[in-house]
Amino acid sequence: MELVVRLAGAAGQGIQSLGEILARSLFRSGFFLHGELSYHSRIRGGENAFTVRLADRPVFATRRDADLLVVLTPEMGRTWGERLRPGAWVVAEEGAFPPGPRVLGLPALRLAREKLGLPLAQGVVLLGAAARLLGLDLDRVGAAVREVFGAKSEPNLQALALGWELAPPQAWELPSPAFAAGTHMLLTGGQAVGAGAIAAGCRYLASYPMTPGTPVMEFLAQRAERYGLVVEQAEDEIAAINMALGAAYAGARAMVTTSGGGFALMVEGLSLAGMIETPVVIHLGQRPGPATGLPTRTAQENLLFALYAGHGEFPRYLTAPATPEAAFYATMKAFELAEAFQVPAILLTDQFLVDSYVVVPALDPARVPMREHILSLEEIAQMEHYERFALTSTGVSPRAVPGLSPHLVLVDSDEHDFYGRITEDLAIRKAMVEKRLKKEEGLREATDLPEAFPESLRGRTVLLGWGSTFGALREAVEALNAEEDRYAHVHFQDLWPLRWAEVAELLEPAREVITVEGNVWGQLGKLLRQETGIRPMRHLARYDGRPFTPEDVVEGVRRAP
Amino acid sequence: MRPEDYLAEGEMAWCPGCGNFAIRKALAQALSALALPPERVVLVTGIGQAAKIVHYLKVNGFNGLHGRTIAAAAGIKMANPTLTVIAESGDGDLYGEGGNHLLHNIRRNLDIAVIAHDNRVYGLTKGQASPTAPKGYTTRAQPFGVLSRPLNPLALALALGAGFVAQSFSGEVERTAEIIARAIRYKGFALVNVVHPCPSWNRVHTFAWYKERLWPVEEAGHDPQDRRAALAVALEAGERIPVGVLLEAPPEPTWEERHPVLQKGPLVGRPLPRPEELRSLLAEFF
Repeated sequence: MELVVRLAGAAGQGIQSLGEILARSLFRSGFFLHGELSYHSRIRGGENAFTVRLADRPVFATRRDADLLVVLTPEMGRTWGERLRPGAWVVAEEGAFPPGPRVLGLPALRLAREKLGLPLAQGVVLLGAAARLLGLDLDRVGAAVREVFGAKSEPNLQALALGWELAPPQAWELPSPAFAAGTHMLLTGGQAVGAGAIAAGCRYLASYPMTPGTPVMEFLAQRAERYGLVVEQAEDEIAAINMALGAAYAGARAMVTTSGGGFALMVEGLSLAGMIETPVVIHLGQRPGPATGLPTRTAQENLLFALYAGHGEFPRYLTAPATPEAAFYATMKAFELAEAFQVPAILLTDQFLVDSYVVVPALDPARVPMREHILSLEEIAQMEHYERFALTSTGVSPRAVPGLSPHLVLVDSDEHDFYGRITEDLAIRKAMVEKRLKKEEGLREATDLPEAFPESLRGRTVLLGWGSTFGALREAVEALNAEEDRYAHVHFQDLWPLRWAEVAELLEPAREVITVEGNVWGQLGKLLRQETGIRPMRHLARYDGRPFTPEDVVEGVRRAP
Repeated sequence: MRPEDYLAEGEMAWCPGCGNFAIRKALAQALSALALPPERVVLVTGIGQAAKIVHYLKVNGFNGLHGRTIAAAAGIKMANPTLTVIAESGDGDLYGEGGNHLLHNIRRNLDIAVIAHDNRVYGLTKGQASPTAPKGYTTRAQPFGVLSRPLNPLALALALGAGFVAQSFSGEVERTAEIIARAIRYKGFALVNVVHPCPSWNRVHTFAWYKERLWPVEEAGHDPQDRRAALAVALEAGERIPVGVLLEAPPEPTWEERHPVLQKGPLVGRPLPRPEELRSLLAEFF
């Protein structure tokens, strides 16, 4: 059982807050949900839509068509009016939607202005009406209003009640609560990355604001004092990565957050991280490019860029979590592997994942064991000499930080010897290249193979995806298999380095492979072909800036190739 | 420790007669005068001939990317304010490629000392004009002469509010050492521009050229507490080369002193978060 509620208005009308109130109310009522934010890159006007899908089971994808549309402007009425399921209801500002059965037009703006003196509460009036139609508990929605509006709650609570009074009661039979309080959490992918960073012991973030990287920076900045982090807005992304590497060299677990354009500026710094073997976690929230592209939309165009960015050859860890739950654990793992192997770790998300609210099982940081990888004072006290880049069997050198012992710590962007001194000794150069790349072997053992559903792919048509398309693909495969049980879903989270021979073995029994990605090139498909020789037969691309829905995938698969 | 105890042995890649030798000597003298333990000092450099100095001294070192010297230094100082952090590189690195970091770190006012080796040319890439080269200066890359005005690092730093701004000449090792020591001791952002000849590439601004233009401003009665007077001196630089401390303003609270998190000590060495901390962090999602 599921219901899709879409709230749509112009930027500046508080759609995001309304969406958050609705999501919190549903979450507290014990429903699973997915809340997707879709917006134009501007402060006022344009499109702002929040699509909440409530269900009696976990959901990680959004839907194209709604059961209940709440519209604040005629423009949004036109945009979303055709995206309705049979039997849908519309709650609209008077004049924003043509009258008809199951269309509730309300003078919400006039009521908000005249009765409350707060025109901005227009949306809350409409939300009140929608909440009653949905059969929600008024007190529960009121509590969510308090959570979201804080000190400004009073007039909004009145607005909520005004709307509630004007709506007919309960149009749907809601499912019974699917989970008890305290067993699940509601959070966005951006919040999950931020929380994962704190859980991993992140102490430093330097970043330049860029959508959709910014939510992670703001999450950490607001909690910096409580959890002991320094969060600094850098003058540019080049500064950000170099500041983070400075902090990491000095011994603080460090991170940057950005999007494609900012990551492009960081690329020389990424290469430096590889050379000086200094851990750093890079959150790269993708949006459509090239260049500035569509700043507030979603895409998966940076897989190959993230994998190959940086001059020279050095190991890196690249991972693309699917859901906020996965993003929390993946962020912790990214910090752990960056520290353990002294490499940059890239966390590849996208606007859809960063901004979407999802209900997930309660997060448990103990699931990803974190260790201290810097030499302890006792360990370093026993060392007569210290060489930052000493050769070892794993390629990983014991890491000291400056100022904590009598030993000096020298790192160099130039090719360097074991101590860190600049060198043009070509035998040492060769040894250092091999040392750095040796680390990839250990790293490869620590990454996870893609997940297959069902486990055996024999004779099946495999839909291959990565990152945030997980939910849409899984649901599409379930829907396709309900008709004809011959499809499978293979999902990649870890993307590099992988044990590709095992990936090939996994895919070998499949009848055919179709890649489904938010890019035109089929970037995972290209990587797969390069590493395994397996050539996907088809590629389902989405590049209009919106996320895949399960129905997009089903229709795409059914369409003749 | 004696100055020579800070010097690393080994071959150096500088040309005979280069001003970098004297600056290295002056820095070692300054570190010795301040009695700084080498393990408490981090020398951050970028790329260029000047930047190689980190390999010729016995202190901690971060030899980063070209232009990013001050950015890396800022990150190090933020993570561990107990370290003495010195950012040192050439004029191309600090004023050209890394200009934006200079601007914004003057604004931040971290307690770091920036030492610029200013010889008006790019040495390692064979003699192109640096941002401080005067108009009309010709090189193989600027055959019509430099068309832009030179960057005035002293005036720039003073205008942005840097608390300590000085200039010296590599030919005066004692003065340079003394100024560098004052810059390191100064609590806040300090810029020392050290002009020096490049015997390989700059045939115009030679040792003798600088020598006859030196203008020791403190001896001439300049008050280093007076920012406006300092700016007047900086703007007059050209035919006369002011040397000495132009400004040593009463220190203002530094970035790290104003940051609430750093009042509880450096970031380095803090333990991983405790389970109860994480429980409170995650409680907001219930």
